[in-house]
Amino acid sequence: MIVIDLILRLAFWLLLAPLLPGIINKVKAWVAGRRGPPVLQLYYDLAKLWRRGVVLSNLASPAFIAGPAIGWMALTLAAMLMPLGPAGSALSFRGDVLLLIYLLALARFCTAWAAMETGSAFEGMGAAREVSYAVLAEAAIIAAVLSLSVQTGSVSLATMLSPSAGAGAVLLAAGLFVVLLAENCRVPFDDPNTHLELTMIHEAMVLDHSGPPLAAILHGASIKLLLFSALLVQAVFPMGDLEPLAAAGTLAAGVLLVTLAVGLVESLLARLAFRHVPLLLTTAFLLCLFALLVAWKGGAQ
Amino acid sequence: MSGTLNLLIGLAMGLNLLALGSSRLPSLIRAMSVQGMVLGLMPVLMEYDSLNWQVLAVTLATMVGKGVLIPNLLRRAMRAANIEREIQPFIGFIPSLLLGAGGTIAAMALARHLPLLPEHSGMLLVPGAIASVLTGFILLIGRAKAISQVCGYLILENGIYLFGLLLIHSTPLLVESGILLDITVGVFVIGIIVDRIQRAFDSLDTRKLTTLRE
Amino acid sequence: MTPGQLLLIAFGSLAISIAIGFRMSRTWLILTLIGTISGLGAALRVLLLGENWAWENGFREHAFRLGGESLHLRLDGLSALFLVLVSVVGGAGAIYSREYWSDHHYPSSAPRGRAWWSVLLLSMGLLLMISNGLHFLIAWEIFAISGYFLIMLDNQRAAVRSAGWLYLAASHAGTMCLFAFFAALAANTGSWELGPMRDHPELAPLFWLALFGFGMKAGFFPLHIWLPSAHANAPSHVSAIMSGVAIKMGLYGIVRFSGWLPVPAAAGWVVITLGAISALLGITFAFAQNDFKRLLAYCSVENMGIIMIGVGGALLAVSHGDAPWGQLAIAGALLHVWNHGAFKSLLFFGAGSVLHATGTKDMSRLGGLWRAMPWTAGLFTLGALAVSGLPPLNGFISEWLVYLGLFDAVTSKASFAWVAMPAVIMLAMAGALAAASFAKAGAMIFLGAPRTKPAARAHECGIGMRGPMVALACVCAAIGLMPVLFWPAVSRAVGSWYPAWSALEMPVPLFTLGKVHVLLAIVLSFVAWGLWRKARANGLRRGMTWDCGYAAPTARMQYTSASFAGIVSGWFRWALQPERQTRKPHGYFPSTAMRLERIPETVLERIIGPISVLVMKVSTGVRSLQHGRLQFYILYIVVGLVALGIFVVLGGAP
Repeated sequence: MIVIDLILRLAFWLLLAPLLPGIINKVKAWVAGRRGPPVLQLYYDLAKLWRRGVVLSNLASPAFIAGPAIGWMALTLAAMLMPLGPAGSALSFRGDVLLLIYLLALARFCTAWAAMETGSAFEGMGAAREVSYAVLAEAAIIAAVLSLSVQTGSVSLATMLSPSAGAGAVLLAAGLFVVLLAENCRVPFDDPNTHLELTMIHEAMVLDHSGPPLAAILHGASIKLLLFSALLVQAVFPMGDLEPLAAAGTLAAGVLLVTLAVGLVESLLARLAFRHVPLLLTTAFLLCLFALLVAWKGGAQ
Repeated sequence: MSGTLNLLIGLAMGLNLLALGSSRLPSLIRAMSVQGMVLGLMPVLMEYDSLNWQVLAVTLATMVGKGVLIPNLLRRAMRAANIEREIQPFIGFIPSLLLGAGGTIAAMALARHLPLLPEHSGMLLVPGAIASVLTGFILLIGRAKAISQVCGYLILENGIYLFGLLLIHSTPLLVESGILLDITVGVFVIGIIVDRIQRAFDSLDTRKLTTLRE
Repeated sequence: MTPGQLLLIAFGSLAISIAIGFRMSRTWLILTLIGTISGLGAALRVLLLGENWAWENGFREHAFRLGGESLHLRLDGLSALFLVLVSVVGGAGAIYSREYWSDHHYPSSAPRGRAWWSVLLLSMGLLLMISNGLHFLIAWEIFAISGYFLIMLDNQRAAVRSAGWLYLAASHAGTMCLFAFFAALAANTGSWELGPMRDHPELAPLFWLALFGFGMKAGFFPLHIWLPSAHANAPSHVSAIMSGVAIKMGLYGIVRFSGWLPVPAAAGWVVITLGAISALLGITFAFAQNDFKRLLAYCSVENMGIIMIGVGGALLAVSHGDAPWGQLAIAGALLHVWNHGAFKSLLFFGAGSVLHATGTKDMSRLGGLWRAMPWTAGLFTLGALAVSGLPPLNGFISEWLVYLGLFDAVTSKASFAWVAMPAVIMLAMAGALAAASFAKAGAMIFLGAPRTKPAARAHECGIGMRGPMVALACVCAAIGLMPVLFWPAVSRAVGSWYPAWSALEMPVPLFTLGKVHVLLAIVLSFVAWGLWRKARANGLRRGMTWDCGYAAPTARMQYTSASFAGIVSGWFRWALQPERQTRKPHGYFPSTAMRLERIPETVLERIIGPISVLVMKVSTGVRSLQHGRLQFYILYIVVGLVALGIFVVLGGAP
């Protein structure tokens, strides 16, 4: 029974995740008046990459392939920890939210490490930006987690994600949305479509990857997007009282809504100049901090 | 009795001013020695009714030492160093005279505020002592030649001796004799040193002796 | 064998090894290992079996007195925890030094180094067991001085000499406070004996003296000023034991005396605040460094900050009704003592291996060393993962425990949640910066292409240096994968710190976390190997790195350590105060250009430096009163007397 549950969960996360970037691209195309690539494009890309050969830089060590693998698996395990509405998560214990945050950090470390393997200044640039902005993003995430923890009094994801609606939820939603954009390298932090290495963060880091490792990276990125979307939806909409089917529907609808919002933001906003990025991230941190203070006041009453 | 004492102390205070005003070393030495002899008489006058041989012995020793021995040592040093005058003191002669006079008046004012025993409160003992101490300090600070400074030290010593006479009934005279011996030996040594300094540096001006610090 | 017998063997063999360290290096190594293993055995017996050991002047008729006080030694859970660390790192460092600082390369300083190593180990062991204030001070002095001589092994270099001098000055500033602390303690309690004294509330203000004195050795911000230069300039095995163990002695003092003595109510707040600031600022400074040993030294400041956060949390819990989450906080802090000792020593050994091979400490001159030094690269990477607190290694376990304690503090909604919340946020930021710093360090040293010739000519270290690194890496992996095995020892130490908590059970999530770590490790290795196989199966080709069409890329075009850290250095410019020298190219054709950036030790050079210059100016001004002129000295006396006279005349009491 547990095994079947685990397999279903893995299937959900692994198979459904690549849908999200497709939806985002479709929204962007629709706003721009184009037809755009098919929604299932990432699946085709992953299948193609999986069959391709790999070109390794002369300077790269075996860690160049181990890095994407470790990052991919870390994100998958983090997905196992994330509850899906009333269905819960594969694994839940007190303090699992911290394991989730640090698994994301592990994935980031491995991506940066693999990026520096090639000895190219572009990857170095991307890695430097990624790890620097992550400092502010971590502060925002931990403030969001603190506010959820203060609201519910628990440190476990399963019980933490049952919020109360109100001003705190709006602030938290805004803060977590900006963090989602930052961590998943979306406009206004990073443009996934840009071809200029000097302007990239995530794209620059994966410049030299090819074949199955690149497939692992892309798939991992889509899992991360689904993870953050699920977190955002469950942190803001109270789903605890609904029946299982209704809750599942609400979760799906919420994730879809978040994806649409990301697509719209990508279409309507331009990428920020790099010197403004810390300001936006600090704003996200302050939003989560104010959500924390609202939760504190709410509890004190 | 207290009238005679007061007279003598007044004489000593006058000798202070004389010492401050004279630029010639022989007169400075003489003033200091006469003051020493005058003050040496004081124990006899104070213990007039209960004289014993200790008091007489100390008086004699003081008068001989301060009046004869020490001045001779100083005159010998003076001749060996071949100086007779204090040329350029730090504090000029008239200013030091005025300071001495002012100090004497201040000493009298101070003595009135001190809680003295009733038998001492009318006497010039305490003001005289403080004035001598002050004179000695002025000489020490204000004069440049080593011999003048030694004389200043000896006048300072006279002042302290005078102050010690307040306690004549409780301090054993042995202490006074000990102090007397000390200063005699000290002056003897100074005499030798002065000679050496003169020979080594060809001058007794203490301004030139300050480069020896650290 | 009883702990007493094991400790006696340890004492004896280390004492003998001091004497023979000058001549016979192999015998020294054997004796030191015997000493450390016996010490480890005694400590493990106390930790695992729970029998505290004490000894008080065994020979009744000939009571041996040192300084008028009889000897009193005691080994309880807390001391045993630190003793394990001393033994493990001491033994590993002894093996490492045989190849790293061999008689062949350093004929004059190697024998000295061996003798002082034994003195250091012996003094640290005694420090942990001594239970008498006077003897504690004696052992503390010997410990500080042996550290000085070990730092100064390579005293031909001016940087080493000034680092040693700074270490000595700072150490003695702390020792001065400790003298005051122990003297005040003895005066108040009437004897030099140390022990649980919680029922004397008047002793509480002495905690601040202990915090300053021990904190100077522990090296948290802002008392860390000596740490970067001392640990960066010392030989690498000395840096390892100083960073991994010696600064923990300062922490031992703080933890021990906050357990035995009553603490003021504000203590928990202050300790947590200092810990959070140390954590964040320490790792920021580390990120901005170009010298990898200085980076590791500042990282130690950060980790001491993390430990202090745990200790502060526990103090808050104790002062607010013995809340059980305090046990999590202090357990996390004590486990981090072990973890930091293990991975920091591993990292310093790796750094020593790189220094030994290339001769330079500047990360921007290295690169591409993974080819020539695969073992060092792999072990350093493992250490880097551990220090960043990433699962499945040990750094994550102790940080997780501290986080849990802080989260419980926040959810309890008491007044101290206001200091726990910023602490959590700063800890998270420090964690992200730590991952960034070690990604930078590892990448600059081992990845890419060699930037200069010395880096191209590197060679792998021998088994003598690799062995201790592998052992420490196994320790990191063991604690990370099986934390439940280490929990009983840690909880015994917690129980001896605060007896009310000795009965609390292990938090169940720790068991789950251990299982998750094992699962993660297996899955990660399996998938990495599987992906490599798939890539090879699909066809693996080597090619040049993408260079955007630039015709002549060189290794110097790679990102350097300063550029990697440039963004964060810009944010923290107010704290880092970098000094820059730039020479821009002139004219129309390519010419040489230069940009040098140096990050000073800000607290030392920007705060303490100017203050000392001011003090020297004022003192030199006052010194002009001492001019050697006798007459003025007499004038000072006269002025004093006249003033006294005026005072009397004006009505004061004569």
